[in-house]
Amino acid sequence: MKNTLCVLMAGGKGERLYPLTKARAKPSVRFGGIYRIVDFTLSNCLNSDIRRIYVLTQYRSVSLDRHIRLGWSIFNHELGEFIECVPPQQRNVDRWYRGTADSIYQNIYILQRERPERVLILSGDHVYKMNYNEMLAFHMEKKAELTVAGVEVPRSQAAAFGVIGCDNDFRITTWEEKPQDPKHVPGKPDTSFVSMGVYIFSTETLVKNVIADAKDTACAHDFGKDVVPKMIRSNRVFVHNFKEANNEEGRYWRDIGTLDAYWEANMDLCSETPQCNLYDEKWPIRTFQEQVPPARIVASRGNTPHGYLSGSVVDSIISGGCVISGATVKTSVLSPHVKVMPGSSVENAVLLDGACVGEGARIRKVILDHDVLVPPGFAIGYDVDKDRSRFSISPNGVVIVPRGISLI
Amino acid sequence: MKHILVVDDERHICQLYKSDLEDDGYCVSTANSGKEALDVVEGNPPDLIVLDIQMPGMDGIETLETLIGRDKGIPVILNTAYSHYKDDFTTWGADAYVIKSSDTSKLKMEIRRLLKE
Repeated sequence: MKNTLCVLMAGGKGERLYPLTKARAKPSVRFGGIYRIVDFTLSNCLNSDIRRIYVLTQYRSVSLDRHIRLGWSIFNHELGEFIECVPPQQRNVDRWYRGTADSIYQNIYILQRERPERVLILSGDHVYKMNYNEMLAFHMEKKAELTVAGVEVPRSQAAAFGVIGCDNDFRITTWEEKPQDPKHVPGKPDTSFVSMGVYIFSTETLVKNVIADAKDTACAHDFGKDVVPKMIRSNRVFVHNFKEANNEEGRYWRDIGTLDAYWEANMDLCSETPQCNLYDEKWPIRTFQEQVPPARIVASRGNTPHGYLSGSVVDSIISGGCVISGATVKTSVLSPHVKVMPGSSVENAVLLDGACVGEGARIRKVILDHDVLVPPGFAIGYDVDKDRSRFSISPNGVVIVPRGISLI
Repeated sequence: MKHILVVDDERHICQLYKSDLEDDGYCVSTANSGKEALDVVEGNPPDLIVLDIQMPGMDGIETLETLIGRDKGIPVILNTAYSHYKDDFTTWGADAYVIKSSDTSKLKMEIRRLLKE
């Protein structure tokens, strides 16, 4: 891995995750209570012993910069290890990144300075656990110029993704964006490979192709849309069949591209045995955590109009600093410092830092952004028309309550 | 008549190339710096650029990157006395790399190739 440089692309606007991305880049959005989305990819790097990482930032990067500085400054520069955030340098162009491939093109000087043999290109908005060494071994075994990680999904669901067609040697032969009739994995007629946005390039191949892409005035300058489909015709491009780290049967990979995907992936963590195991000590997911007091779950003993309320918490993730007092919390993810007051009910909800659900309030299938205060007695998620008049609602019916909104 | 822009801080090299290429039937402009070259490109875009690397101020690599960034689509031949830049990724945006020589046949060959003559 020492000859492999990692470039993590974190420069997207994250518009589809708005308003959660109003104040921060998507990779730095809270996920699973205590984490940021980017922690999963960075933990994969750390657990795969990849310790030379550039993070290409762009929009709303202050929060991401801070998270990486506070949580991920664990590499030893004296040993050649590093993690560095690189905002657009605009060395010889007067523009932001035009696409993912352009973000690499504009940073070619970094590749020249490091001169790695291979470049592992990742994105900071996926939740999965992957040992990149297995993909690297595959890349070298196949003498590939580019290897793309593909995850097997039921063929019936593949039409929502970029679908990879390959031969029996796993060499990629076709690449289709959201096809009506997705190709299947060799020997498995009911499953398809979809691209995970994880690439290993031989460095020289990468440089040549992003330069060619930069000179092409009629494209989106995107790896998935432009660079990879062109390379299939002229280079040795293979697909690596993703298997979860430390879990031979596991195939959990989620693109946190939309509010629905974000909510669903959080809900996934609430099941009895989540597909994404956060508790595997051999593949720990690291993050930055502030000093917070322990979560406290107590009964409310009659100093409210509701009288004695034992409350209950079930199928939920409760972070440190939370106080749940005589309330019902079911299938929900609570980030630090969330308060749930007596007589209230929280169900299928994602509550970000500092959110507060007032006495007797009821919320269901909702995302509360940071510091949102739900007034006592208020209801969200029970009357679609009322919700629609106040909040935005995702296509799958998740109500999103943005930061800074006054509900009183 | 195809228009070639020769960029080199050494004026005698510009003159040498100019007369040599004009003899071959090209229209030749010259510039003595990267910045001057970009001005020529904006005012009277050439069909091809012969670009030195080591120049005071904006060097050839920076000029090349700026040209690509401006989507000019003009082929560029890097023409330098040094071979070591050829391995440098930042020069790979050029369409050809020719070591300076009193024998200009290689340079002319690349010009013909890139102008599809």
